[in-house]
Amino acid sequence: MYLKLSWRNLWRNRKRTLITVSAIAFAVLAAVFMQSINRGSHEMMIDNMVRFHTGYVQLQDYRYDEEASLDNAFPYLPETETRALQAHDRITGVIPRIETFMLAGNDHTTRGAFVLGIDPEREHDFNGLRDHLSGGRFFEPGEDKAVVTEGLARRLELAAGDTLLLIGQGRFGMSANALFEISGIMRHPLHEINEQTVYLPLHSIQYLLSADEHITHLLIALDRERDTRNVRQALQQEFQDDELIAYTWPEMMPELLQLLEFDLVGAYVMAGVLYIVIGFGFFGTVLTMTLERMREFGVLLSVGMKRSRLAGVLLMETLFISFIGVLSGLGLSWLVLYYFYLNPIELTGQTAETIIEMGWEPILPVSFAADQFYTQGIIVFCIAVVVFLFPLLKVMNLNILEAARK
Amino acid sequence: MENTIIQTFDLCKIYNPDAVPVHALREVNISVAEGEFTSIVGPSGSGKTTLLNMIGGLDKPTSGRVAIDGKNITGMKDSELIDFRLEHIGFVFQHYNLIPVFTALENVAFIMLLQKRTKKEMDERAKSLLEAVGLGERMDARPAKLSGGQQQRVAVARALASQPRFILADEPTANLDGDSAMNLLDIMEKMNREQNITFIFSTHDQRVIDRARRVITMVDGGIYSDE
Repeated sequence: MYLKLSWRNLWRNRKRTLITVSAIAFAVLAAVFMQSINRGSHEMMIDNMVRFHTGYVQLQDYRYDEEASLDNAFPYLPETETRALQAHDRITGVIPRIETFMLAGNDHTTRGAFVLGIDPEREHDFNGLRDHLSGGRFFEPGEDKAVVTEGLARRLELAAGDTLLLIGQGRFGMSANALFEISGIMRHPLHEINEQTVYLPLHSIQYLLSADEHITHLLIALDRERDTRNVRQALQQEFQDDELIAYTWPEMMPELLQLLEFDLVGAYVMAGVLYIVIGFGFFGTVLTMTLERMREFGVLLSVGMKRSRLAGVLLMETLFISFIGVLSGLGLSWLVLYYFYLNPIELTGQTAETIIEMGWEPILPVSFAADQFYTQGIIVFCIAVVVFLFPLLKVMNLNILEAARK
Repeated sequence: MENTIIQTFDLCKIYNPDAVPVHALREVNISVAEGEFTSIVGPSGSGKTTLLNMIGGLDKPTSGRVAIDGKNITGMKDSELIDFRLEHIGFVFQHYNLIPVFTALENVAFIMLLQKRTKKEMDERAKSLLEAVGLGERMDARPAKLSGGQQQRVAVARALASQPRFILADEPTANLDGDSAMNLLDIMEKMNREQNITFIFSTHDQRVIDRARRVITMVDGGIYSDE
């Protein structure tokens, strides 16, 4: 009956309630949409970084983080791969890599280069590397050829079909010099990598660096980003006796996370302003609903209703409005986001060109992360609780006779 | 008095004691016995409503005390008074003061909900009370759909729902036309006669005064006559 009383009280002034509910719903929509676009572009950025750079989780020798040297590479045997794949259900693949720095040169000059030994098939499955070729072709498994990124190729004035010189140091100080035919040139989506990278087949670089059956990193592919921590734990457990350590991508790229968090501040400020506006609108409704019923409250207390029970009825009214507003807002948000998920906003002009330059699609992707939906519900609930303080104080301090005279 | 329900002892109420004192009640001593049908009358400002508020535990006296069934209610805390009112006192207001979003039946049952009675008990008693006040056919109507007289009859049924020791009615007929007022008085008188329910009215209405078996007249906050 108390529920019935609260519910019916809500609709005593249908228009006012509907206006308040709509205000909450639109604010929730605006907040979710803003956050979704922000997070969508962040997710795209993270996805690129994870796929081309670190993987969701990465296995390394435990000394490698302190000293990124080939001496701290670890053996990569068929059983290592099997154990890694079986460590957790959500692991969909493993991508072995050797990373090192060497001098890359043509016949008259050299440049510092980041040299990556990869398994081209697995790498392509993970990040679609071959799709970024801008000239020539990718080396096939078993071939001893190199792919050079556009920036480095431009600096060294090299093209597909030319010969690339690599000079460096292998494991335990062994000399490592070789010539490779360039099979292709690629435009890497990450600017920094695009300026300095050479890709070699894993077996070729292992031979060159005297690192047979060794790799420096084993990237782990997952089907869901949110399982990252669990997978890290599983891998840690599996390889704890092998002197290997697993890192998650946030641990490997803390600067990126900080940058993204800083970028989110603007969105949070906007959402904060929106919620202050809603809070006042909401407060206005609750204020009117309370003040116009002071006499009724006085009568209810006269006939024996406890103040706490009356406050409970008012709390339910406040919660009803906020729930209806939030649920409508979330429903609306879901529809709008779903539309933009299927039809992303396309960027044009200078912005689009810059994005394309970075190797990304010129779109504003939206995020469908579940937490951005329920977070809004929690925020509006908190606002409702704060707003409810007004009727609560009024009821707790109500003078029955004065109220009944109103 | 063996079956005394209400007693006041030297009841005084002074408003604005520090500025311009207004003596609303001056040492009022009355006793009301079970089954009485009493009117408190007097001109505006004579202290009728203030006395009713004191008896109903809605206001505190400046001095003196009120005892209900021998229990001093003057020193009770706010929360104790709310419970006490719920169990012992029924109220009928001049402006009916029904809950607008509830039907007649729900308005009557609501008081019993506050007393935590069972749903079956609430429904049965609310229905029988509404039938007793002649509203058996209008139980599902909300107050806005009822006439003033009908609303006041619902208010009487609501006041009786908690099975109180007595009912305080503040100008119950003030907003009613002649027929409705007479009809309401008939109902209350019948309940008083047949069920020995105690009624205390504050009123200006001669029709109420004529029906009362005891009339207490107040002037300037004091008892002028008690007949």
